[in-house]
Amino acid sequence: MGPGVNMVPAAAAPLGPRRSARVNLRNPAWLLAPALLFFAFFYVLPLVDLLHLSVAGEAGLSYYARVFEVPLYWESLVRTFGIAGAVAALCALFGYPTALLIHRARGTWKLVLTAAVVLPYFISVLIRTYSWMVLLGRNGPINKLLVALGIVDAPLPLIFNRASVLISIGAVLLPLMVLTVGSSLARIDPLVQRAATANGAGPLAVFWRVLFPQTLPGLLAGVLLVFISALGFFITPSLLGGPADQMFAMHITQQADFLASGGFLQSLAAVLLAVTLLVVAVAARFLGLEFIWGGQRASKPARDTAQRRLASWRRAVLDRAADLFGWPLLRALGGVPAWLGRLVSGSLAAVAFLTLLLPIAIAALISFSDSAYMRFPPPAYSLRWYEKFLSDPVWMSSLGTSVAVGLLATVISVVLGTAAAFGLVRSSLPGKTAWMTFLVSPLIVPGVVLGLSLYSLFLRAGLAGSIPGLAAAHAIGGIPLVLVIVAASLQAVDTRQEQAAAVHGASPLRVFWFVTLPAIRPGVLAASFFAFLHSFDDLVLSMFLSGARMTTLPLRLWGNVNYKLDPVPAVVATFEVALIVIGLFFARSAWAARQRR
Amino acid sequence: MKHTSPRPLQTLLALAIALGSACGVGPAWSQAAKEVVTQDPGGTYGENLRRLVYDPFTKETGIKVLTVQEARGGPRVKAQVEAKRTEWDMSFIFDQEVRLLDPYLAEIDYKKLSPEAQKTVASLPKEAVRPKGVALQVIGVALVYNKEAFPSKKYPKTWADFWNVKDFPGKRCLPQWSRFVFESALLADGVPADKIYPVDFDRALRKIAEIKPHVVKWWLTNSQAPQLLLDGEASVCLSYTGPVARLKKEDANAPLELTWDQAFTYYDFFSIPKDAPHYDAALKLLSYRLDAERAARVAEATSVALPSPRVYAAANPKLRDYWTNSPEVEKKAIKWNADFWGAKAPDGTTNEEYAQQKLNQLLAR
Repeated sequence: MGPGVNMVPAAAAPLGPRRSARVNLRNPAWLLAPALLFFAFFYVLPLVDLLHLSVAGEAGLSYYARVFEVPLYWESLVRTFGIAGAVAALCALFGYPTALLIHRARGTWKLVLTAAVVLPYFISVLIRTYSWMVLLGRNGPINKLLVALGIVDAPLPLIFNRASVLISIGAVLLPLMVLTVGSSLARIDPLVQRAATANGAGPLAVFWRVLFPQTLPGLLAGVLLVFISALGFFITPSLLGGPADQMFAMHITQQADFLASGGFLQSLAAVLLAVTLLVVAVAARFLGLEFIWGGQRASKPARDTAQRRLASWRRAVLDRAADLFGWPLLRALGGVPAWLGRLVSGSLAAVAFLTLLLPIAIAALISFSDSAYMRFPPPAYSLRWYEKFLSDPVWMSSLGTSVAVGLLATVISVVLGTAAAFGLVRSSLPGKTAWMTFLVSPLIVPGVVLGLSLYSLFLRAGLAGSIPGLAAAHAIGGIPLVLVIVAASLQAVDTRQEQAAAVHGASPLRVFWFVTLPAIRPGVLAASFFAFLHSFDDLVLSMFLSGARMTTLPLRLWGNVNYKLDPVPAVVATFEVALIVIGLFFARSAWAARQRR
Repeated sequence: MKHTSPRPLQTLLALAIALGSACGVGPAWSQAAKEVVTQDPGGTYGENLRRLVYDPFTKETGIKVLTVQEARGGPRVKAQVEAKRTEWDMSFIFDQEVRLLDPYLAEIDYKKLSPEAQKTVASLPKEAVRPKGVALQVIGVALVYNKEAFPSKKYPKTWADFWNVKDFPGKRCLPQWSRFVFESALLADGVPADKIYPVDFDRALRKIAEIKPHVVKWWLTNSQAPQLLLDGEASVCLSYTGPVARLKKEDANAPLELTWDQAFTYYDFFSIPKDAPHYDAALKLLSYRLDAERAARVAEATSVALPSPRVYAAANPKLRDYWTNSPEVEKKAIKWNADFWGAKAPDGTTNEEYAQQKLNQLLAR
C-alpha cells in the first residue's frame, strides 16, 4: 500500500494554463502505453490465468463450491473481515490523534515525530512480528512490568490470541492511517478553526463541527486502505495468532504446500481477490475511487453535484437532530477545558508511538545479545551477531541480491510510472479516473494472490528465480507508487515556464529535460525511494518467485526465523533502521540546501 | 546537488542496464554452465551443508552448487515439470510424495554413483532406496519439554503424559498439521503403537479436542516449538528433534530435553526432477553426499542422520547422541507411515489434506 498517499495535493491543477501548454507539448496520452503494456503482461495476464486455472478442466465451478460449502473456508472469510474491520477501527482510534499531534508540531519536533511514524514502515514485517512475540510473551517485558508493579500475580496470556493479532497487524498498518489522515489535515485552512474559536466555539465544538468533518474523507480513506491491506495478511496471524485466528490467506499458503491442490488453490485466491475488489467497489460508491491513491477526490463537477444532492436530504435530518441533541450537548460540553482534549488525544498518540517504536527498540536490544538464541533481556551483550552477519557470504549475497532487485525494480517503476504520470496529467484522454484506477489497482491486490498468479506465468516464461523477473514483479506495486507521487508533482509544475521554453524554440524533449524534470525532481526522488523500499522489503512475492540464483534478504530472514534461533534477524533490523535514518538525514540536508537556494 | 540536470535518473538508468545484463539476464538463460541446482532448507542445516558438502564439492569438481531455499519441494517440482521448465536438479521430498510425484521424477541411475556411494546405498534399509528417490535423512519428531517447567523433576515421557495436564501442568504446543498430531492423539488415547494405522480420524479428533484448550500455539515452522519452550510459553511440545539437538550442542545447559519414547521418525527423500538440467552433476553431488565419512561429518554437525549403519559407524560416538537412527531411537521410536498419509481419502484428496481440513475445522471452533 502506498506510503506516498500523503504526497498528493487536494485538487487537480487548474485547467486553464494546462490547456494552452498542451498545444505546444502535443497530446502525450501515448506515454501511458509502456505502463499499460507492462501491466497487460505482468498483471492482467497472470490474474486471468489464475481465474482460468480455478475453473480449468472438468472442475468447472466445483472448487468454488468447496470454498463456500466447507464452513471452514467461508467462516474464515467472515473472520478475516472481522479482523480487518477491528484493525481498521484500532488504527483510526490511535492514528487520528497521532496525525493531529504531528500536524500541530513544529520544526525539528515535527520531523522527529514524522520519522517515528515512517521508520517502522520500512522495517521488515517479519522482524516486527518477532519483536511483538518477545514483547507480549509470557516472560516478556510487558508481563514482567505488570508483575513487578503488582498489577497481576501471574503473567497474562497476551500472545497467540485475537488481541495479539490485532495489535501486530494494527502496528504494521498504523503508519498508513497516520499518513492518510495527515495529508487531509494538511489541506485544512487553519483560519477556519480560528474563526470558529473567535465565534465562541469550545475546543470540542471546534473539533466536532470544523476539524472532524473536514478530515472525515481522509479518515475514511485511511480506514479503507487499512481494511483492504489487512484482508491479505497471513504471516503475522500465523506467527502471532491462536488456532481460532486463521485468516483466509493462510488457507491459500497452506494449500500451496499440497500436491493435489491445483485449481482449489487458485479458486481460494480468486475468492480473496473478488471480495477485496467488492469492498473497493462498495467504498468507491461513497468515497470515489480516488481514495486508493489520494485520499481525496479530485474536483470533478459531476461528483460535486452528487454530493450536494445527497447532502440536501441528509442535511434536513441531521439539522433536526443537531438542534434537538447535538447543539445542547456541544454547548454543555463547551465547558470541557482544552487541556482535557489534549490529554486524551495525546495519550492515544503516545500509545501509537509506543506501538510503532517498541518493537524496533526490542530488536535493536536483541541484536547486541551474546546469547545463542533470541532471549529477552539478553543475558550479556556483544557484537558477535553483527560479526556473523557481516562476515557471512550467504547473508551478504542476499543483501546484494535485494539491492540489485530493488534498484532494477526502482528503475522500471520510475521510468514507466513517470511516463504514465505524464500521459495522465498532460493529455486530454477521456476517462482519466478509470485509467488511474486501473494503474493504481495493483496496490489493493493481496500479495499472496499476485504471487500465486505470477508464479505459474513466470515458470512458463522462464522468468522464475531471475532477478529481472522478481524486479518486474516488484515494479507492479512500484509503478502505482511512482505514478501517484509524480502525478502530484506534475500538477504543481508551472506550465508557463514550459510554454516559455517552447516559445523560444526548445523541442518538447528539451523542455522536458531542462524545465519539467528539474521541477518534479523531488517527487521523482521520493518516488524512487518508495519504489526501492517497496521492493527491498517484500517477502510475499519473493516467497513465490525466488529461485536458485537469488535469495533476497527478507527471504533469507524468513528461512532463518523458521530454521534457526539465532538473533541475526535482529541485526538486520537494526541495520535497516540505521540505513533509513541515515537516508532521511541526507534527504533532509539535501532538501534544506535546495530550499536555501 | 548543485546541478539542475537530473543526474540521479541517469545514474539509475546506467545501473539498471549494467545490472540487467550482469546478474539477471545472463546466467538465468545459460544453463550450460558447470553447476547443479539443489533445494536447501536454509538456516543452520543449510549452512552446514554449504560448509561440509557444497564448497568442498565445488573445489574438487569445479561444479558450482546453487541452492534454492524452500521448505517443501514437492509442489514446486510438480509445477516446474508441468511447465516444462525444470530448474532444480535435486529436491528433498516427503516419503509419500515420492509415489505421488512419480511422473514428475527422473530415475536415479545408481550404477553411475561412485563406488564409495554405492557401498553406502547398499547399506541403507531396503525401503530407503527407490528407483526415483533415496532417503538421505531420517527426521525425528518427539516430545520435548523444558526441565525448568517441572520443578518436581517428574517429566512427561509419553503422549498420555502430554495429554495429562493434571500431573504434568503447563501449556502445550503442537504443529498445525495432521501428520504426527493425529498419531500422538491416538497413542494418548491408548491405541497400541502397532495399531495406529489406518488412523481413526474421528477418535483422534475427539482426543485432540481434549487437549486443545491447553495448547498455547499450533506452530507451523521448524524452530517455533523450541523457541516457545525456551520463552516459557509452553512446557511440553511436539517438536522436531533437529533444532533441539543443535541447541544442546550450542549450549549444553539449555533447559530443553526430549524423549525418544513414542517419537516418530520418517525419511526425507532425495529425488531428481524429470528433465533436470544437470542430471549428471546431480548424481555426482549425490555420490559426494553418500560418502560415509562426509555424511558422518554432516550428521555430526546437524544431528540429522543419514540412515546408513556405515555412516553411523564412521561418526564420533560423542556427537551422535541425537541421531535418529541410533539403536536407542530405532528401538523406541515409531515409524511414521507415509503410505497411509499419501493414500486417497474419502473426499478424493489425500488422507493428509483430508485430515488437515478436519483439524483446521476443529481448531477454528
